[in-house]
Amino acid sequence: MRRTRHGNSKGLGRVAGFALLGLLTLGVHAESLAQEETEPSAEREQEISFISDDGTGMRIARTPSAGPTGEWWLPALDFANSRYSQLDQVSKENVQNLEVVTTWSTGINHGHEGQPLVVGNTMYVVTPFPNYLLAFDMTKPGYALKWKFEPHPDPTAVGKACCDLVNRGAAYADGKVIYNTLDNHVVAVNAETGELAWMTKVGSADEGETMTMAPIIVKDKVLVGNSGGELGVRGWLKALDLQTGEVQWIAYNTGPDEETLMTSPDFKPYYAKDQGEDLGVKSWPPEQWKLGGSTVWGWVSYDPELDLIYYGTGNPGVWNPDLRPGANKWSLSIIARDPETGQARWAYQLVPHDAWDYDEIMENILVDMPWKGEMRKLLIHPGRTGFMYVLDRETGELLSADKYHPHTNWASGYDLDTGLPKVNEAKRTHMGQETYDICPSSTGAKEVFPSAISPRTGLVYIPAHNYCMNFQGIEANYIAGTPYLGADTMMYPGPGGYLGELIAWDVVNGKKAWGIKEQYPLQGGVLATSGDVIFYGTTDGWFKAADATNGEVLWKFKVSSGIVGNPMTYIGPDGRQYIAIYAGIGGWIGSNAFEKISADDPTAALGTTGAAANLKKVTARGSDVYVFALPEE
Amino acid sequence: MKSPVILTSFLLALPLTGGAQQEAEPAPAGALPGEISQSEAIGTQPGPDRTLPKTQNPYGMDSNALAEGRRLFVWYNCYGCHGGRGGGGMGPSLRDATWLYGFSDQAIFNSIADGRRYGMPAWGTKLPAEQIWKITAYIKSMGTEFEPKAPPPNPVYPEPPPRRDIPRQQERKGAD
Ligand code: HEC
Repeated sequence: MRRTRHGNSKGLGRVAGFALLGLLTLGVHAESLAQEETEPSAEREQEISFISDDGTGMRIARTPSAGPTGEWWLPALDFANSRYSQLDQVSKENVQNLEVVTTWSTGINHGHEGQPLVVGNTMYVVTPFPNYLLAFDMTKPGYALKWKFEPHPDPTAVGKACCDLVNRGAAYADGKVIYNTLDNHVVAVNAETGELAWMTKVGSADEGETMTMAPIIVKDKVLVGNSGGELGVRGWLKALDLQTGEVQWIAYNTGPDEETLMTSPDFKPYYAKDQGEDLGVKSWPPEQWKLGGSTVWGWVSYDPELDLIYYGTGNPGVWNPDLRPGANKWSLSIIARDPETGQARWAYQLVPHDAWDYDEIMENILVDMPWKGEMRKLLIHPGRTGFMYVLDRETGELLSADKYHPHTNWASGYDLDTGLPKVNEAKRTHMGQETYDICPSSTGAKEVFPSAISPRTGLVYIPAHNYCMNFQGIEANYIAGTPYLGADTMMYPGPGGYLGELIAWDVVNGKKAWGIKEQYPLQGGVLATSGDVIFYGTTDGWFKAADATNGEVLWKFKVSSGIVGNPMTYIGPDGRQYIAIYAGIGGWIGSNAFEKISADDPTAALGTTGAAANLKKVTARGSDVYVFALPEE
Repeated sequence: MKSPVILTSFLLALPLTGGAQQEAEPAPAGALPGEISQSEAIGTQPGPDRTLPKTQNPYGMDSNALAEGRRLFVWYNCYGCHGGRGGGGMGPSLRDATWLYGFSDQAIFNSIADGRRYGMPAWGTKLPAEQIWKITAYIKSMGTEFEPKAPPPNPVYPEPPPRRDIPRQQERKGAD
């Protein structure tokens, strides 16, 4: 643990104390939670502990990389992308007493996606473009600014970012806070001093690339991916050396096996449809894979036991499907790779030949749990497509794919023997023809905003929204650095009279346990805690806490602007539990609150204005961080 | 570390030939001090008012030019950044009353030809002036009765803003 390196005065006893409390009062086992010493990072990953629950039989792996209990070092808290915190001072019994402790503006009025980090007594916030990194001293009342790091990104990147100037957060390891800038630089900043440790350019805004995702750090590698699927870029995941920032390997998601790193004898896709040589070339018209999108702008997970990383890929390049006959691999795929070499272990394409712009860059939640009588290593992927995909993460086998979004109509289900969707051909979009009432819309049944899982309830909490669309394929003209769409789309509310729903999904039984319907779309992440509370925010600016077992809303607070960020929780220097959330509308759907989008063009903002122009009436730009806690005793 | 990016200005290099545009020799690179730029200034002038000659869009609201302007707006992917009917997205709305860089024919022409700081590409070396004028004409027609392929009604925002009234906008002082 690097606590001492930061001159951290916070006692270890506090952390252990809370872990113990969780163990005793709530029956959640936390084995070897706090690891004591600093070891070489490679070994560090071997120390795996599990958070488990006897009732559901679910267990979630934790390694010291997630930081001690009570801190938050990785974007999704842990490698499993659980967003499940063991803190329980705030519980469903007392959450209605939450109050604001402090709030401040970052000064940047764009979509505040992502979440702060907490390392020792410091909170780190990455802002949207120009991507400041702000460090706040949590020991000072109101959280005084310690320092501000300014990377000075190239302003031309602004016009290349499809969906506002967002950033999904930083990761901490080895005394460095690491994040991506919109203009494709990975920066590592000394967590103590705010000085630049290294900066590496990994993409080109001129070609249409930008970066918005939050990196994760596995052993000595920083893993980052690109955005730009709307501009005909070629998607990749890159690994950079944690110490130097040097690129260690590049795994493209389209192209020959040599470049997709699918040459290892251990590369064994589960389904026949995904097996064969150079599918990243052969499943495209000649050369089209070079513009084939399949970017990595969501979340990366890591299983320390299997030593595999997992991520999903975005839409294939050019939206109009008739311009790219073939399966278009590896768009809309989940890929498992060896973090050391980048070599793929398996890959599964969720939807061959996408015709709807369904990026599948969603979170992959890694848990072990009993599945049909047997303990399985699951990968849970709440799809943009409206299906909840449950895979065996050792092999890539699809165990189930149930509709969690009731109006999903582009496919009726999945054939588990072939791994293929049963596509409703009437909803397949084509050139020169308008296809009506496709559900969900391109923005998905959910967006990139991450779900949380609780081992105590066995439920996944999905921030969903309810939109459908009309889609017409039109001619497309590839011009580097401009959108490459070939589509005229318009989205609008789905049936049912609601636009958002927090869905609690029973993984094992493949059905919805309950839902909280929302008037406005959910475009922010979820946090689950062992106090049996879930937290989430709405695009009209309500921050809510609900009972994790039954969805009863227990507390809500109206913040300054619509929420598109992810709640997080930590123990402050005074030993109390805090909950933090950003308020700052933006992103793709959220940008419809901006003055620069005209409500009278429903095809604006890449087709979302028809669905979300009413956000203008209920929220406006913001840039605030809110911190909540129970009243001091 | 990176050096700040300097957007190349095509002001001097842009051949303003073709169409009904007033004939002008391309100025030599590195024009002499004191020469007035071909381009219209974006800011206010210091000192007493001195009107610069304004270049009018040669196509006005000619319906053939507008239809062609619409086609080019799609073909050059303007619609991907500015919205299917110009309502905005990655770039700002072109159909509202707010202009970052001016609303005159010349200002819109220059935005397209020269590019703008926050990611608006410079098209001056790629498109002939005649095409830029047709696109300019189409942009000026947005929200008016002349607009080709006007947007469908917005299902969640039933009260559309009032139609753009060209004479009133041109009188408006400010961004121009
Ligand atoms: C890659 C995205 C992109 C493409 C493609 C693009 N634009 Fe832009 N455009 C922008 C951005 C971003 C701005 C705002 C620039 C700024 O704020 O500095 C802008 C600004 C403008 C403006 C000035 C608006 C104002 O308020 O003053 C006009 C006019 C314009 N664009 C027209 C076009 C036309 C016509 C095309 C196609 C030939 C086009 N744009 C293609 C991104 C784009």
